[in-house]
Amino acid sequence: MFKINTVKYLALTVAISLTGAFIAPGNVEAKNKFVFANSSPYDTLDPHTVYDVGRVATRINLYDGLMSWMDNPPQLQPTLAESYTISDDALSYTFTLRKGTKFHDGSTLEADDVVYSMERLLGMKKGAFSLFSNIIEPGTTKALDSNTVQFNLTERSSVFLATVPALSIVNADLVKSHEVNGDWGAVWLSQNEAGSGSFALSRYDPAIGFSAKRFPDHFQGWGDKYLDEIEFRPVVEVNSRVLGLMNGDFHGTDGYLPQDQVKRLAASDNVNVLAEESMRIFYSIINNGRKPFDDINLRKAISYSFDYDSFINDILSGSAARNVGPSPNNIWGSPSDVTGYTYDLEKAKEHLALVKGPVREITIGALAGYQQTEQAAALLQNGLNKIGLKTKIVAEPWSVASAKMRNEQEMYDLLFLWKSTYYADPNNWMGELYACNQIGARNNSWYCNPEVDALLTEARVNPDQAVRAANYEKAYKLIVEDAAGVFIYNTKWFGPYNKSVKGVRFSPIGNAQEMRWIYME
Amino acid sequence: MRILFLIFNRLLWFIPTLLGLLVLIFTISHIIPADPVAFFAGENATNEQIAELRAFYGFDKPLYIQLWNYMIAVFQGDLGVSLYTQRPISQDMFARLPATLELTLVSVFVSTIIGVPLGVIAAVKRNSLIDHVLRLITVSGLAIASFWMAILFQLLFSMELAITPLQGRIDGWGPDHITGFFLIDSLIVGDWELFWSAASHLILPVATLAFPAMATIVRFTRSGVLDAINSNYVLYEQAMGFPERIIIWKYVLRNALIGTVTQIGLIFGILIAGTVVVEAIFNWPGLGLYAVNSILNSDYNAIMGFTLTTGAMFIGVNLAVDVIQSLIDPRNQG
Repeated sequence: MFKINTVKYLALTVAISLTGAFIAPGNVEAKNKFVFANSSPYDTLDPHTVYDVGRVATRINLYDGLMSWMDNPPQLQPTLAESYTISDDALSYTFTLRKGTKFHDGSTLEADDVVYSMERLLGMKKGAFSLFSNIIEPGTTKALDSNTVQFNLTERSSVFLATVPALSIVNADLVKSHEVNGDWGAVWLSQNEAGSGSFALSRYDPAIGFSAKRFPDHFQGWGDKYLDEIEFRPVVEVNSRVLGLMNGDFHGTDGYLPQDQVKRLAASDNVNVLAEESMRIFYSIINNGRKPFDDINLRKAISYSFDYDSFINDILSGSAARNVGPSPNNIWGSPSDVTGYTYDLEKAKEHLALVKGPVREITIGALAGYQQTEQAAALLQNGLNKIGLKTKIVAEPWSVASAKMRNEQEMYDLLFLWKSTYYADPNNWMGELYACNQIGARNNSWYCNPEVDALLTEARVNPDQAVRAANYEKAYKLIVEDAAGVFIYNTKWFGPYNKSVKGVRFSPIGNAQEMRWIYME
Repeated sequence: MRILFLIFNRLLWFIPTLLGLLVLIFTISHIIPADPVAFFAGENATNEQIAELRAFYGFDKPLYIQLWNYMIAVFQGDLGVSLYTQRPISQDMFARLPATLELTLVSVFVSTIIGVPLGVIAAVKRNSLIDHVLRLITVSGLAIASFWMAILFQLLFSMELAITPLQGRIDGWGPDHITGFFLIDSLIVGDWELFWSAASHLILPVATLAFPAMATIVRFTRSGVLDAINSNYVLYEQAMGFPERIIIWKYVLRNALIGTVTQIGLIFGILIAGTVVVEAIFNWPGLGLYAVNSILNSDYNAIMGFTLTTGAMFIGVNLAVDVIQSLIDPRNQG
C-alpha cells in the first residue's frame, strides 16, 4: 500500500550504529604509568577513616608509618622511625624519627605530626582506632623533641609494635588548617592527602579512583627503576577487571580472583600470574555459646562432616593450602604437628551419638555474593545430612552478616568467612577470634575456654617471643581440640600482572599494592 | 493556558509522590537487618566504639524519629552526609549525575531515532519478510538479559575485533568540569580527540541500554501506525492524492506517536534503573555504580539520595511527556 525507501533508511541506520565502531579504543600506553583495577571503591582517601584490605593502596602509597610490614612472611621494619626503645616496664615506646623526612608539600615531618596522627585516630574512632583504643588514652602520646615521640600504654602489650604500621602519619599543620567545627579535617582529607608516601596525589574522583605521581624527595630514595605515575581505578565487576587486564587497559588487579578467572588470565599472552601463600584463613564460625553447640561432641561431628579435600582440590582446583587451625600455617605460633579434622562420617556419627539431647535444625550462614562461602555451606550441608542432621543455608550480604555476628541471639549457628591479616602477629587471629574479652566484638564464636584465655592473655603482654610462641602453639592445639570452628584453608594469592610489570613485592599486609618497588620493562 | 494548568496540576502531585517514595524507601532500607555502623566501623571495632558511632549518627533513636529528622532535613535541602566519606550526599551524587544522564539521554536518543522509523517500516511492510525480521530483532531485544548482552558486546567488539573501548567513560580523566557531560565539555573546549574518546566509550553501554529500549519503541510505533493507517482520514488523504511519504511521516506518524511518547517517558525511567547493571559492567562512573556501592555498604543517606533523585527525574520526565503529548494531541490538555 505504501512505499518508502526502506533500503536507504536501513543503510543509514546501520551507518549511524557503526559510526563509532571505527573509533579505535585507547589502551593505557603511557610508559611508566601503572593502572590497577581494584575491586573496592576509593570512596574516601582518609587513612584514619578506613582500615580495610580493599582500600590499602591509599594508605601505603600516599602515606608512611613509623614502621611497615615487608615481604612474605612479613618482616616488621622501621620506616619513618630509624629506631625505637621500650621502657623497662614495657609501657613506654619511644621512637626516634629519621631527620629530614618531607611531606608532599615540602614541610618537614616531625614528632608533633605523629602525636597529632595518633590523637586524630583516637578522636575519630574509626579505621584502626580499635587496635589502639584499649591501650592508649587520648592526650598521652608525647613529642619529647622534634624527632622523638613517645607512646605511653595503659597496659603492657606485646602486640603494640605489630600494630604501629596501622598508624599513617599525616601532616598535622596541613590537616589542622582544614578542620571545620572540630571534624579533624575529615571532609577535606576524604578527598585530599597530607602524607609523605612514595607517591603524591595528583587527581582524585570518588567515582573514578585516584592518580598519584612519584614523590622524588621521598626519604627512602629511588633506584634506577621506578614508576612515574600510578592510577587506581575501582572496577567492581570481576569480568571487567579480567578482560581489562587481558587487553592492556590495566596492568594489575587483585590477587583473590575466582580460580576460573585466574586460569583464564594465566592463559593470556599479556598476563603473568604470581603466586604466594598469603595469611588469610577460611573457616566457619561455630556459635559455641548457643545450645546445642556448647556440646563439644556436636562441634566435632560437624568438623568431621566437612569434605576438606573435595573443597580444596575439586571446587578450588587446589588453589588453597589446607589449614587445620585458627591461624595461618605460615605464621609463627602455628604448630606444625597438628593434623586437625578430616572428612570422616563414621567418626562424625560416633560423636553425634554422644551428644546429649536432640539436635535441632542447624542454620548455616554464608555471605551472599561470595561464591566460596555458599559452596562451603552447601558441602557442609551435604555432610551433615548424611549423618542425619537437618540444616538450612542462609546467604546474606556482609552488611547484614556483620551486624548479626555481634548479636548472640541473631548470630547464625555457623558462618563461613575469611579472616585477613591486619598485622602479622598470631593475636590477629587467635587473640581476636577466641579471647574471652572479645566475645561479641571480634570473638563471634562466643567461645571462652579459661585455659586458652590465660594463654592468649599472657601471650598478649609477655615480651619474650619464645614464651609467646609456645603459648600460641598450646592455644592453637586446644582450640582445634575443642573444635571451636571448622578450619579449612589458608589462601594463596594469585596476583595477575601485565607481562611488562616487574619488581612486585608481595606481603600479606598490603597484598603487593605498595608501588614503590614496581617498574615496567 | 491549558498546558500551564496541566503543569501546575502535575507539580502539585510532585510533593506527595516524593514524600511517599521517601517514607517507603526509608522504611525498607532501615528495617533490613543490616548495621551500617558495624559494617563501616570494620571487623576490628569494639562494641563500645560501634555504640558510640550509632548514637553519633542517631541510629539509636526510634525509627519514626529518624524518619522525621530526615524528612525535615530533606525539606531544608539537606540530603545528609555519607556514612563512609563524610561528604555531603548531594556533592557525591551531583558529581556522578552527568555521567548517568549522558549515558541515558544518548541511549534514549539512539533508541528513538532507530526505533521510530523501524516501527513505521514494520507497520507499512506488515507481514512481509522485513516485518518478520524486525519482530525477531525486537523480541530478542526484549528477551535478552542486559548483563549478558553487555558481556557479549565486550567479548566481540572489544576483545575479538578490538574496535571499541572495553570499559570506562573516557581515556584518562576527561575534560575539566564545565557541564559534566563529556561530549558537550569536549566540544566546548574544542578538543576533538577527547570528544571521539568520549563518543567511542559510549558505544557499547549505549548499545546495551538502547537495544531493549529500541525494541519497545519499534513495537509501540508499529502498533500505533497500524491503527492510524486504517483511519478514515488516511483514506481521505489517499483519495485526495497526497503523496504517501507525506501521509505516513506527517499525518500518520503524529497520531501514532502518542503511545510511543508515553513509552519513551517510561523507558527513560527503566534506563535509569538499567544503568545499575550496565554501569557496573562497563565501569561507568555514574549514579548506578554509586547506588550499587551504597546498597552493599548500607549507606542509608546515599540510598535515600539516589532514590529521591531518580524519583524526581522520573516525575520530571513524565511531566515532560504529558506536555509533549498535549502538544501532539490537544485533546490531552484537559
